[in-house]
This record gives sequence, C-alpha cells and structure tokens, in this order.
Amino acid sequence: MSTCVNLSQAQTDHGDFIERVRKMSDQDVRKCYQCGKCSAGCPVHNCNGMDVSPNRIMRMVQLGMEEEVLKTKTIWVCVVCSTCTARCPRDIDIGRVMDGLRIMAYKKNYLQYAKNATDFHQTFFNNIATFGRAYEMAFAIGLTLKTGYMFGILDLAPATLLKGNLPFFPSKLKNSRQIKEIVENIKRMEGEK
Amino acid sequence: MKYAYYPGCSLHATQKAYDMSVKAVCKTLGIELWEIPDWVCCGASSAHSLGHLLGLAIPAKTLVSAEKEGLDVVAPCAACWQRLVWVNHEVTTNPDMRDKINKAIGAELKGTSKVLSIMEAVNSAGIDKISQAVKKPLKGLKVASYYGCYYVKPPKIAHVDDPESPHLIDDMMVALGAEAIDWPYKTECCGASLGFIDFDTTLMMSKKVLDFAVKSGAELIVTACPLCQMNLDMYQSKINKKFGTKYNIPVCYFTQLMAYTMGYSANELGMGKNYTAYESAFSKIG
Repeated sequence: MSTCVNLSQAQTDHGDFIERVRKMSDQDVRKCYQCGKCSAGCPVHNCNGMDVSPNRIMRMVQLGMEEEVLKTKTIWVCVVCSTCTARCPRDIDIGRVMDGLRIMAYKKNYLQYAKNATDFHQTFFNNIATFGRAYEMAFAIGLTLKTGYMFGILDLAPATLLKGNLPFFPSKLKNSRQIKEIVENIKRMEGEK
Repeated sequence: MKYAYYPGCSLHATQKAYDMSVKAVCKTLGIELWEIPDWVCCGASSAHSLGHLLGLAIPAKTLVSAEKEGLDVVAPCAACWQRLVWVNHEVTTNPDMRDKINKAIGAELKGTSKVLSIMEAVNSAGIDKISQAVKKPLKGLKVASYYGCYYVKPPKIAHVDDPESPHLIDDMMVALGAEAIDWPYKTECCGASLGFIDFDTTLMMSKKVLDFAVKSGAELIVTACPLCQMNLDMYQSKINKKFGTKYNIPVCYFTQLMAYTMGYSANELGMGKNYTAYESAFSKIG
C-alpha cells in the first residue's frame, strides 16, 4: 500500500476501533506481535487474492486505521478457512476478526470490493429464506443476473444438466418459512434492545 | 448404531452422489440413519457473514429435532458440520448466546446431541469391520486423502483430527487396500465458496491442491466435502484451460470409493455425476 496515513490523527479519531473490533468478534487484536504466520499460511494471500496481507490487517486495526481496513479487498475474499487461527501463536481467531470486519464494513457501506461478495451472500440468503433449502437453479440464475457468474462456466452447463446435478425444481419441505421466521424473530429482538 | 442424519442442501441437489454413497456405506456397516424431518439449510457461508446470531440460529433450528429424539447427528457436508458444531459450542459454553439462539428459534436447545462428521461416523464402526466388508480391495491404488480446512480448523472448534496432519480417512483407505500417499496439502483450503466471489483466485487455490496430489504420486483424490469435490472435480477442466496444465486425476467422495470396494456398482454410487473420468483408476480395483 502506498497511502500516507497520519497515525496520530488515526489514533485520535479511531483509537477505539480496536475495542469495537473486540466487541464485534470477541477477539483481542492487541495481542498480535506481527510474527506473520497468518500471512505465510494464508491460501488466498498466497494466490495473490488479497490486496493487504492478514498480518498487516491486524497491525492496521491496532493503529486505528479504520477506514483503510474496512475498505480493503482482503476482508471480502477471506474464506475463513482458519489456517491463520490454527497457527496464531497469540491465540487470536483471525477468521472471526475478518467476519467481524466484514459486518462493520457492510454497516458503513464500504463496498468497493464487496459487490461480488454481497451479491453472493444476499442472493444466497434470500434464496434459502424463500425456499427453506438452497434452490440452486434459482440461485445460479439470480447470481448470474447480478454478477454474470455463470457466463464464465457455461461450457460446464450441458454436462451439469445431463448429469442431473442442477435440479429444475426446489426441494419440498412442509414449512419453508422456518428461516424467514428466524429472521423476523431476530429483527424483533434487535428492536427490543 | 443410529444417528440423526442432516444431509444438507448439496446432498439433495448438486451432490446427490455423496448422499447415495453415504447411505450405501452406512447400510453395509450397520449404521442406521434417521433423516431429520423438515430440516432447513444451515445458512453457510452467507448467514454468518450477515450476522453472528443469524449464523447460529439457523443451523440451531435443525438440531432441535435431533435433540428431541436423543440422537447424535451426522452431517456429511463440511460446511454444515462446522456450523452445527459452532452452535453446540456456543450453546454449551455461552449461556447468554444460548438464550438469544433459543429466543430466535422459539425452542429450547441444550446442546446434548453430539455432531459428527461422516468420517467419524463411518470410522466409529471400527477399522476391522470396514476391512471385513471389502469385497473388491484397492490393491495398492495410490489415494490422496484430502480433508480440506473445515473439518480441522479452527482446531478449538473443529477438531475431527490433527489440524496439520490428519489421518482418519487415510486409515480407512488403508483398510480398503489402498496405499495412502503422504502429501503436504491435506488440509489446505480449495477456495470453498470464494468461487462465487473471486473465481480466478479460487482456481489458483484448487490448482495447488491438485498439483501437490499429482506430484506426490496420487492416482485418485478422495474428499469428504461438497465444496472440495466441486472445486477439484467440476473445475478441473477450467484449471487446465486457465493454467495450460494437463491434470487428469479422478476426484470422488471417500464414501464412493469405500462403497465401491464393498460391492456397490459405479451406477449405484452416482460415479457418472462426477466430472473427472474415474474408469481407468477404478479398473485396477477388485
């Protein structure tokens, strides 16, 4: 990264960022001493999928660089495989930190790199909330309309349909509203706070 | 032995072959599966990205029925399995979160049903029983057991086996007569559902896994996760196209290979639903 950051200013303005990350993820990023094991073992980082390595994300959280962290591509491409978590000598669950940062970025509407990720999560979630179980055909079409996802794998479509690996109809269950009911309950609980 | 069975969405739709082979193996080994009635999707990997409580409450809903029956649960999908394990972890260690989850699902979950992966459930029948059930031994077929990440990481929650060097599937493969090859990418991530977000990076991640398996001498890769299977099997042709490689290694579920050695036909196990050609590797079996 080549951005210039005024660290004193970041501490003044966002000194409580690390505390908010702790509340969101139940993880204390203060403990990180920059050994770099998380980045060394990160399969996404090692395939050049990230713009900022995981250990730098940890340091940026410590320094209060809130906006910079929440605007990285890294937080959206972390797959939470938890290799970093398994190897962290300071016992930080970095995967959970990433989950927490994603939710924070989403709330702040920092979605520059998030389009594909949020399109995926929202399309998938609406799908299961509607049908109770994943209805892949509708999901594939819905995601393609938003991101063009299927255009890249159209060559696999004939085989997939012939093999019966993409059923035309959704799975039937008695109460397909179960997930919707949970969403409504959680909304009500949040309203009660 | 009787378990509550949570197949999850994949096993009922895009990965029916996994469902068929799990049932075949369990039938042979005398493991009874009671499918949880009216189960819903576990929410992975979207629900927990949209909210912590949401990600726990949705899989919790399905656990309630199993708990009422007093049965431990088997979930063959790695993502479903880990979400269910998270629920049990939170419900048994965090009373505050347990209350929230119960309020969200309108039921009382205590966390008394253990959640088992399919490799643990099959292994619980005993290695002797597995090897005695073999009718067509693998005759030294070189098999790479690929566990992926979800079953073993993060190790405090997901600890089916050692996070860096698991051997549960390897042991079962040896019982079937295979040579379990030693290779370094057993628990490396294949990219999982990142394929929907950043396809190129995912192909690169899966390529590395294939590369190590092939270079280590494997003739076949076995998996226990629908996402690993999809990324290594379905996308193998995409990987070859993108990187100019010529991988031609069959990838199947360990339950498909196991049930085949126990006398089931390739057809009964949905082998034709896989994308990579398995015939030449399977011709050595028997």
